[in-house]
Amino acid sequence: MNLDWLTQYVVTIVILIVTTVGLALLLHLQMGLAGIGNFGIVGFYGVGMYAFGIFLVHLPWPESWGMVAPVLASLLFGTVIAGIAGLLVGWLIVDLDADGILLGTLGFAAIVYGLSQTNRTWTGGAEGMGTTDFPYDIGTIKANTLLWLGITTVVVALILYYVIRVHRSPYGRLLIATGQNEALARSLGKPTFRTKMVMFATGSAAMGLLGGMYGVMLHYIRPVELGIGITLAAMVGLVLGGQARAWGAVVGVVLVGVLFELVFLIWIPFPTEWRRQSLPVIREMLYGATLILVLMTRPLGILGRMRRDRTVRRPAHD
Amino acid sequence: MTESAAVPVSRPSVRIQDAVKSFDGRVVVDVADLTLGKHPVEGLIGPNGAGKTTLMRMVTHSISLDRGRVTFSTGTGAPDVVLSSKAPHAIARRGVVKTNQVIQDFDQLTIWDSLLLAASKAHDERALKIFREPHVWSEYGDEIDEYLNLFPFDNPFGFAKSAGEKKLLDIIRCLLLRPKLLLLDEPTAGLPAGIRDRVMELIKKKATEENVSVVVVEHDLNVIWNLSDYVHFMAEGRVVLQGDPPWIREHATVVEKYLGEGHVGR
Repeated sequence: MNLDWLTQYVVTIVILIVTTVGLALLLHLQMGLAGIGNFGIVGFYGVGMYAFGIFLVHLPWPESWGMVAPVLASLLFGTVIAGIAGLLVGWLIVDLDADGILLGTLGFAAIVYGLSQTNRTWTGGAEGMGTTDFPYDIGTIKANTLLWLGITTVVVALILYYVIRVHRSPYGRLLIATGQNEALARSLGKPTFRTKMVMFATGSAAMGLLGGMYGVMLHYIRPVELGIGITLAAMVGLVLGGQARAWGAVVGVVLVGVLFELVFLIWIPFPTEWRRQSLPVIREMLYGATLILVLMTRPLGILGRMRRDRTVRRPAHD
Repeated sequence: MTESAAVPVSRPSVRIQDAVKSFDGRVVVDVADLTLGKHPVEGLIGPNGAGKTTLMRMVTHSISLDRGRVTFSTGTGAPDVVLSSKAPHAIARRGVVKTNQVIQDFDQLTIWDSLLLAASKAHDERALKIFREPHVWSEYGDEIDEYLNLFPFDNPFGFAKSAGEKKLLDIIRCLLLRPKLLLLDEPTAGLPAGIRDRVMELIKKKATEENVSVVVVEHDLNVIWNLSDYVHFMAEGRVVLQGDPPWIREHATVVEKYLGEGHVGR
């Protein structure tokens, strides 16, 4: 099989798309089910990425541990720190109205972006910090990157499986009820604040894990990775696919990602001098335009509404 | 004013003491000392704006009190619980439950969904219990089926469509919480007559056979006279009359003359 078209660059873009699918799935739980429109995804992703990097670089790991254990421990650390950030931010915002949530989460992402540039000794400032190579070596750089793509895909597939199961569990029912009529849910004995906090914090932790894993792929993490682009891609993809549906995140992000990242940035032969400056900016404008267009023409997204009237049935056997 | 025979208080009841609530400086509820739930079914009547719904919402703490306190006694000898310092969900968990006067629903949840949600306990709904669905169906499915047989919906796997279906769903959800003290806020408004009678019959049965204390706010006074064992009459935020239904019925006209036309209704 000829894999020449699958350049190293394309593989990294595919990893980015798969990572974004994961983020959009988590956003689906927060926004599509529980009604918390998190515009600070990249903040939690960034906290995970930087916590991973700082932990890995600044801790004196014993030589005898080899490569894998420090990377895994650092990923775990990034996940936990992002989860704690989720608890703090969630505590501040989950009971606000939609505008408050939007501003609060957006503000958090801006703070993370700012922090990533400030402390040079810890983060390397604006130039960023070198972290690690892949914690394994199976031959060529491309083969190593492909293996990381496989690992990322497995993690995202697990997230997808969890989200699908949530739709079919009492927990999902509770999330939907909380998102749709919180006062009514409360009057039925549901602790809605705690429900939203648990969901927001675990979602943030998982976003942090994805950030850390993407940090492994990057080898070198920089503030520029924490721009609004990631949040936009996840948000636009999810809304396009259908924010109330688990598969909406997959369909939407893959569509948007392939179209804007691969076709637009790589496969259409634009003049080379455009690539550096204009195209990334135009791409972000296209994201915005897509969001507006979808919300105007098909606000429920490609897959439409939840349709629990078709799916919720008594299980075949108890 | 109270003349009912002393009923031994072994029923779940709430006591509202020195409770005041005002909106924009206007006092809506000002109750010195009131106990609800000494009888199986109690009616709470009074003109529009008397503060009946506000009083009920103060009990379930969906609005906060300016001052005063609400305590709940299960009637089983367990220590009293101060409801006015508890969160609404904790009050519902303790068995003090209120149906809604204005129609409330979850748009994306089907009728079965809604009922399973009400029946499910906290330990069914944890974030990691992603294989719990068969359990809640087998645990609560039969009980829900009983209600669905008694009150047939157009399509129980679909969404509640008419106002009547949503109102009925609201009441069944509350019953699935296994309330000890059930506050019904205009339960008959919007229900078809046949369904209404069946609901009232069921409520009466819960009150007499299962020791649920029921308090009904209702504008249709025939429902009150037929259903209640005791009636509280509210006007301008205060309870002005209490007594057996026939006694209230007689004296309510006095109140009406005293307070002016339209205070009691037909």
